[in-house]
Amino acid sequence: MLNELAQKINAAVAGANATVHNAPDAKSDSSVYVEASKIHAVAAFLKSSGSMNVLQAISGVDYVDYMEVVYIFAKFDFEKPSQLLLKVKLTDRVSPNVDTICDLYPAANFQERECFDMFGVKFNKHPDHRRILCPDDWEGFPLRKDYMAQKVYNGMTVYPEGKMNMADREFIVRQKMIKGAQEAASSDASEGKVQ
Amino acid sequence: MMNKWDIDGLAEKPTINADTEKLKSDLLTLNMGPQHPATHGVLRVEIKTDSEIVAHAIPHLGYLHRCMEKHCEALDYRGIIPFVDRLDYLASMNMEWGYVMAVEKMLGTEVPRRAELLRILTCELQRIASHLMAFGTYALDLGAFSPFLYAFDEREKILRLFEEISGARLLYNYIWIGGVWNDWTDSQIDRVKEFLDAFEPQTQMYHELVSMNKIFVQRTANVGVLSIQDCFDYGATGPVLRGSGYKWDLRKNAPYSLYSEFDFDVPVGTGEMGVVGDCWNRYIVRMKEVKESIKIIRQVMDKLEPGSVMGKVPKVIKLPEGEVYVRSECPRGELGIHLISKGGKEPYRLKVKSPCFTHTSMLPLMAPGQMVADFVATIGSIDIVLGEVDR
Repeated sequence: MLNELAQKINAAVAGANATVHNAPDAKSDSSVYVEASKIHAVAAFLKSSGSMNVLQAISGVDYVDYMEVVYIFAKFDFEKPSQLLLKVKLTDRVSPNVDTICDLYPAANFQERECFDMFGVKFNKHPDHRRILCPDDWEGFPLRKDYMAQKVYNGMTVYPEGKMNMADREFIVRQKMIKGAQEAASSDASEGKVQ
Repeated sequence: MMNKWDIDGLAEKPTINADTEKLKSDLLTLNMGPQHPATHGVLRVEIKTDSEIVAHAIPHLGYLHRCMEKHCEALDYRGIIPFVDRLDYLASMNMEWGYVMAVEKMLGTEVPRRAELLRILTCELQRIASHLMAFGTYALDLGAFSPFLYAFDEREKILRLFEEISGARLLYNYIWIGGVWNDWTDSQIDRVKEFLDAFEPQTQMYHELVSMNKIFVQRTANVGVLSIQDCFDYGATGPVLRGSGYKWDLRKNAPYSLYSEFDFDVPVGTGEMGVVGDCWNRYIVRMKEVKESIKIIRQVMDKLEPGSVMGKVPKVIKLPEGEVYVRSECPRGELGIHLISKGGKEPYRLKVKSPCFTHTSMLPLMAPGQMVADFVATIGSIDIVLGEVDR
């Protein structure tokens, strides 16, 4: 079914380059990848063709080397209910950005704001591009894998030393080691042992 | 619209006419919440009012934000269940079930029949408890105090039962991966039966007390109207979508677990009072759903047979690489769990699609043109729980 949908998308939207990522077995779901620059056209096609009438959620995933934005669509249809995981890959991790689909699916308004809040993905032309769950002046994007919470926020200690999340810290240390920053890594690790 | 209840045309709302147009003044910014009894928790809505009429409403979320999705990335699959409990703390059983189904799908676990039936039993009881809460607090929002006490009395009986089976009143950690934590004894099942026998006539009283009450109808009919297209655009589900007249219920349209074996109706708003999709219809859908849940529970009790309540699950749960998106019907709408695993004991990413979050995003759509008091009725009718909105 997804192959058929991908073909339709490719036929309707030039350069969408829709490819199906097939799940190996029934235990997991398949998804469709499209080009990030064409997401608005693809969403417009999904809406106008009636393939998917509801946008359920927009989520992000941080794979450290790149990021993904996952658009979860559903079809509320009595005969053939279906759902779709539509993904775009964002290779620019410093300032990831993708076009908004707010004008097509108003549900995207809050969902995109949440994705920006949690992953720092910028949604171009979004009408109300603000953080939604964290305070407006919060630093960093919490659901990124290399996130470290700020220690002080507006004069309040929000992340005391003794309560560091060691798993996150170790992860960052690992990342630094991969990048060859041995010195920084060893100092962080020794800090970690004291805790 | 005439109907048998609306003899004096009470459900009709006065429209804004030329006289009220003259009264327009500068906009006044009013903060409703975060500590406000009608916002059902810590929701802050910034409303711009023109005298008594709301021009814009901007919801400000995040006062209860715990970033549970981040916490889950450092927890094993069993350890996540108590965290999922705390999303919608008025319907924890349903939250657990949604999450557990996602893990079970990836694990390929067979859940014993008795466990599935007990899950349906507890989740439908939880649905009743949750809708009773919605009913009680909604009447309270609109100024009627006593329905709240009636509803809480009945709800407490359900919570006592849950306390007996799981050890906790609100946050149960009862539905586990592969089954349920503990079996119900026969005497506990009998108590459910007793409860239902006593409770069913009560629902009729609620209708007489509140649903058909003239003041209540005046406050809720023709207020906060949502069309089906609005609901699709904003992704509304559950009683909000059904209140607008779309007969969509996952338990019926995409049955999971054993729901296909059960005989029940999906109530939708029919516009008995006012128009389809208004606050009254959303409210009455919930009240009718309580009846359907009672129907389901009675059928479960007939089907129950002795057996195991826990399937075969490895001691350490490691999921294969892959992802699932699993939806389930919760009292407030569709809960979606998007679970990504890269192998190993912890999820790589867990995204919760929360129905309340979606419904909160509809407030700016419904608010303009309403009276402030009607806006309170609108917030109550979508029945949000901030634990789920903010996660």
